[in-house]
Amino acid sequence: MSEYSTSVLVYIETEENHEIKDVSLEAIASGKRLVQLSKGKLIALVCGKNISQTVDELKYYDIDTLYFADSPDLEIYQPEHYLPIVLDVYEKEKPTGIIFGNTMVAIDLAPRVALKLDTGLVADCVAIDMESDEFVFTKPVYSSNVMAVYEFQAMPFIVTCRTRSCPPAEKKDQVSGEMIELKIEKDTDANQIEFIERKLNETNGLPLSRANIIVAGGRGMGGKEGFDYLNKLCTALGAALGASRPPCDLDWVPAKAQVGLTGEVVAPSLYIAVGISGSFQHLAGMSDSGKIVAINRDPKANIFKVADYGIVGEFEEVLPGFLKQLNAFN
Amino acid sequence: MRIIVCMKQVPDPEGPRESFVVNNEEMRVVPQGIPPVLSLFDENALEAALRIKDKNPQDVKVSILSIGKRVSNAVMFKALAAGADELIKVEDSQFMTSRLDSFATATILAKAIENAGDFDLILVGRQAADWNAGQVGIILSGILNIPCVTLAQGVDVNGSTLTVERVLSNGIETVRTHLPAIVMVSNEIGELRYPAMKERREAKKKPVTEWNISDIGLSRIPPARIKLKRLFTPEMAAGNCLYLTDTTLEDAGRKLALLLKADGMI
Ligand SMILES: Cc1cc2nc3c(=O)[nH]c(=O)nc-3n(C[C@H](O)[C@H](O)[C@H](O)COP(=O)(O)OP(=O)(O)OC[C@H]3O[C@@H](n4cnc5c(N)ncnc54)[C@H](O)[C@@H]3O)c2cc1C
Ligand SMILES: Nc1ncnc2c1ncn2[C@@H]1O[C@H](COP(=O)(O)O)[C@@H](O)[C@H]1O
Repeated sequence: MSEYSTSVLVYIETEENHEIKDVSLEAIASGKRLVQLSKGKLIALVCGKNISQTVDELKYYDIDTLYFADSPDLEIYQPEHYLPIVLDVYEKEKPTGIIFGNTMVAIDLAPRVALKLDTGLVADCVAIDMESDEFVFTKPVYSSNVMAVYEFQAMPFIVTCRTRSCPPAEKKDQVSGEMIELKIEKDTDANQIEFIERKLNETNGLPLSRANIIVAGGRGMGGKEGFDYLNKLCTALGAALGASRPPCDLDWVPAKAQVGLTGEVVAPSLYIAVGISGSFQHLAGMSDSGKIVAINRDPKANIFKVADYGIVGEFEEVLPGFLKQLNAFN
Repeated sequence: MRIIVCMKQVPDPEGPRESFVVNNEEMRVVPQGIPPVLSLFDENALEAALRIKDKNPQDVKVSILSIGKRVSNAVMFKALAAGADELIKVEDSQFMTSRLDSFATATILAKAIENAGDFDLILVGRQAADWNAGQVGIILSGILNIPCVTLAQGVDVNGSTLTVERVLSNGIETVRTHLPAIVMVSNEIGELRYPAMKERREAKKKPVTEWNISDIGLSRIPPARIKLKRLFTPEMAAGNCLYLTDTTLEDAGRKLALLLKADGMI
């Protein structure tokens, strides 16, 4: 038996270039904090194809036991391959809880794990704390107008954490912990979902998550032409283009530009919001940005409440002066 | 072919902050001055069902299933007017949000579905717009022992084959499975169609079935897996906005660039 009374399992994901996802580094930090409180053991799991570089990197994050599964079958996420791996690690370690980052993969995987383990799930959690020896989990509900604090009635606890809900784990100078490679077995469940094909976007432009500056437009841009203007600003600033949901749903911009509760959660050093009212669903994705600029014709727009600089007016009249001055710098 | 679309009634998620009042005794959020609406992603799920029906209007029947303490006919009318064929509601005074986590909700939905007769496809929303749990679809699929495909932006049925386009963070993927199945629908599929006058008139005549908890063969609410401990209203940001109020908006734009430069932001 292990020397630890409790343990927490963190599910780790990588970017396409095998870098550890930021949200996974944050999940490691959350897990670390919890096992420090409970004097437990930190376990992590990473799955994928050709991930030796990721595994090497993870050695520097102070994880007590790192499980990894590396196989061509794991190149893309499919529940029939991934679910048995998570369940296998659960059986081996019987952790008190499992922490995921709130990603597109976790939206599918975490509820399946909860279902198999006969327990519950708190999705899109922003804080995990300990109150009188119990873990409690806080998540925004009702468009982030209310915060709900949950405890579990069943074990293990399973949570997905919102991006940027805590600082990422820090890389140590030295490697530590043990590593265990897993053999993979395919789930022979009859309810199989057969993978057919994948079409990935051309990766032109800077991804939102890596951008230092984001210029984002909302319904107030009025159409694709408005966004042409914002694209010019992006070029002048070396910024990435973001949007609230309506421009994505209306096909003015690609869906991946969406920032917010159900889009990307970002915190660039500068976020320029144009024609965005500042719904709580949008703020959930950007309110931690370093500096926020709001340009909106409505002086009462909510976005001004989180802005550092505000201009009340039609964007068509504001942006030409802004762009002219930017070009004068370059 | 029968499609069941699970739709939840929620207080308008776009309402102002003051309209979501916390009541910690009853462990619920009391909406004030905002109307109930169809949960957003459930409208997308209904649109997905109607697109399947469009291809074969005679052969496809779309049933709406909604559970809640009280489900308003006026709210559900929008779904019927858009093209759904019938409404099934399960109402019970015991259906309090504090007791209905996703497991309890899915268990009740499963019982109701059992009572509602045969089905081929069940569509749910990506997450309910009030509690954003995002789990009912998968749990329901576990109870009914059928496959569940998540995050759909396209749903197509051909015989007993179901083809789904799934949203990825960097593209889309196509997966296939067999009916009966559950699909969890995302907003990328597109907005719910707007009903014409004629459809609105006809909607009033569509069948509505009303059940309570014992009608579907449950004696009590299934136990929850997670428990609400408390609710609170988060503090709003301080609001330290510096407004640039120059004579012209063009000047304000120019000033903005200068300020950001001085801050070292650009
Ligand atoms: C469960 C759920 C999840 C959601 N997830 C997200 C999400 O991830 N991201 C997201 O953004 N939204 C999300 N939403 C939608 C959200 O509630 C709002 O509807 C949306 O953010 C509003 O977008 P907007 O600010 O662009 O549009 P609007 O609220 O319509 O605001 C447009 C603004 O533009 C201004 N304007 C108009 N014309 C001009 C002009 N010429 N010059 C300057 N200003 C102008 C107006 O004054 C107004 O303030 C979600 C909603 C729900 C219920
Ligand atoms: N009370 C309800 N009545 C009908 N459908 C529901 C109910 N609650 C949840 N659902 C369905 O399940 C989906 C996901 O809900 P949730 O897992 O609670 O976020 C919703 O989008 C609905 O399609």
